[in-house]
Amino acid sequence: MSLFDLVAGLLLILTAVAVVTLRNAVHAALALAGNFLVLAAVYMALDARFLGWIQVIVYAGAIMVLFLFVIMLLLAARADTGVDPVPSLRPFAGVVGVLLLVGLGYAVTTFEPVQSLVETAPLLAGGTAQVVGEALYGPWLYAVELIAVLLLAATVAAVVMVQPEVRRPRVKPQVAERERELEEVTR
Amino acid sequence: MEFVWTAVKALLVVVGLLTAFAYMTLVERRLLARFQHRLGPNRVGPMGLLQPLADAIKSIFKEDITVREADRLVYLLAPLISITFALVAFGLIPFGPEGAFFGLDPWVLDIDMGILYLFAVSEMAVYGVFLAGWASNSKYSLLGSLRSAAALVSYELGLGISLLAPVILVGSLNLREIVEWQAQNGWLILWQFPAFLVFTIATMAEAARTPFDLPEAEQELVSGYNTEYSSIKWALFQMAEYVHLITASALIPTLFLGGWHAPAFLPDIPFLWLFVKMALFLFLFIWIRATWFRLRYDQLMRFSWGVLLPVALVWFVVTAAWVVFKGGVA
Repeated sequence: MSLFDLVAGLLLILTAVAVVTLRNAVHAALALAGNFLVLAAVYMALDARFLGWIQVIVYAGAIMVLFLFVIMLLLAARADTGVDPVPSLRPFAGVVGVLLLVGLGYAVTTFEPVQSLVETAPLLAGGTAQVVGEALYGPWLYAVELIAVLLLAATVAAVVMVQPEVRRPRVKPQVAERERELEEVTR
Repeated sequence: MEFVWTAVKALLVVVGLLTAFAYMTLVERRLLARFQHRLGPNRVGPMGLLQPLADAIKSIFKEDITVREADRLVYLLAPLISITFALVAFGLIPFGPEGAFFGLDPWVLDIDMGILYLFAVSEMAVYGVFLAGWASNSKYSLLGSLRSAAALVSYELGLGISLLAPVILVGSLNLREIVEWQAQNGWLILWQFPAFLVFTIATMAEAARTPFDLPEAEQELVSGYNTEYSSIKWALFQMAEYVHLITASALIPTLFLGGWHAPAFLPDIPFLWLFVKMALFLFLFIWIRATWFRLRYDQLMRFSWGVLLPVALVWFVVTAAWVVFKGGVA
């Protein structure tokens, strides 16, 4: 275990704990952004360099920015500290957490790699954009196409969800005005 | 040892950029004055050369106010994020061939995915903008910052897609290799003029310069995200903005105008030619600022999503088809 592993692991755990414990949503989101940055560094250390950069650009740079936008626009930085909807949630979550930790410990201690990492390292070739590209537009092309469809569906869904007038047939304001006038006349 | 030299070079770049920023403000004021047929600041020192120093001393000794209602931590963090991510982008730019800097390489970092690094850094700089607006705890700052951040994110997209075309033509994401490719096959502006246009316009918007400087328009919405800042923190935002501008004026030549290589048949001199090209673009940016009107916010956004993005996408597809069917430039 090198110094980097130790520091990165500690930072990952600390920021993750901060994300779930901080009361202020903006602080929590910032902690999550920090977590993403450290995670990107870990990816790069694990020879997945392209993935690391994409992690910074997409997760920290785009998705977290969107999260922060929503938090700020809804003025929702302060956590809702009303009555707990589920009683005694904390002890229950603690028990589940401990169980998970035990399971994780068991998995880590009994894990045996199918193929040694030293053998697979040359296949990764540093995880550069070229290697990733050859994989994506080669054997994984079908998955890439499916993701494209998924993204399109997500875009359309987001537009339909937030814009009520998309669901209704669009009426020009002048026409709407005229219709309202006509209605008044007939009444 | 390698690491130490990299750190020294990084420090040099930071100090150099901060000096360049200080003198850019002077040059900008003098040039704007020239454009308007008047003299710029010329009282402090010969030709006003000590003006930046006077400004710096003033802003350091000014009372550093923290707004009472502000979120202390984030209020402090925002200018630091802004300046950090503005400064680190510059280290990638090659100023000459290997070993041209007294036996050292004339760049701080040589990352094989350099362009991704640039994107990552400039996206993280957005954080500084809207965290400043939010931490100030003023709704006008918040609105200003959200507008700035939305504009930055929109133009980031055009920026990214405009660079796809040169990258597939060159076949590398490394800035040094892009410069070398241009030395062999001619400047990318010849092959990639639409990409150059989109990139230049988008970087101008990224640095929030006229005609896209609406986020900090003095007359608009109490001038945006840094309203509640004073003294050195406010100076850090200004610094970040100018450093962005300087980086942009170095990046555009590096990517599209042959980098540090000389134009035509003039002798290649490391550092010199890139500085000349940078000066050219800085002058151009100031010229545009002096002579152009400002876009309205809706026009700003429509221009980004309706013009820049489609143009960049179409050009990307054209270049991809060109590379696939004709084999590119070679």
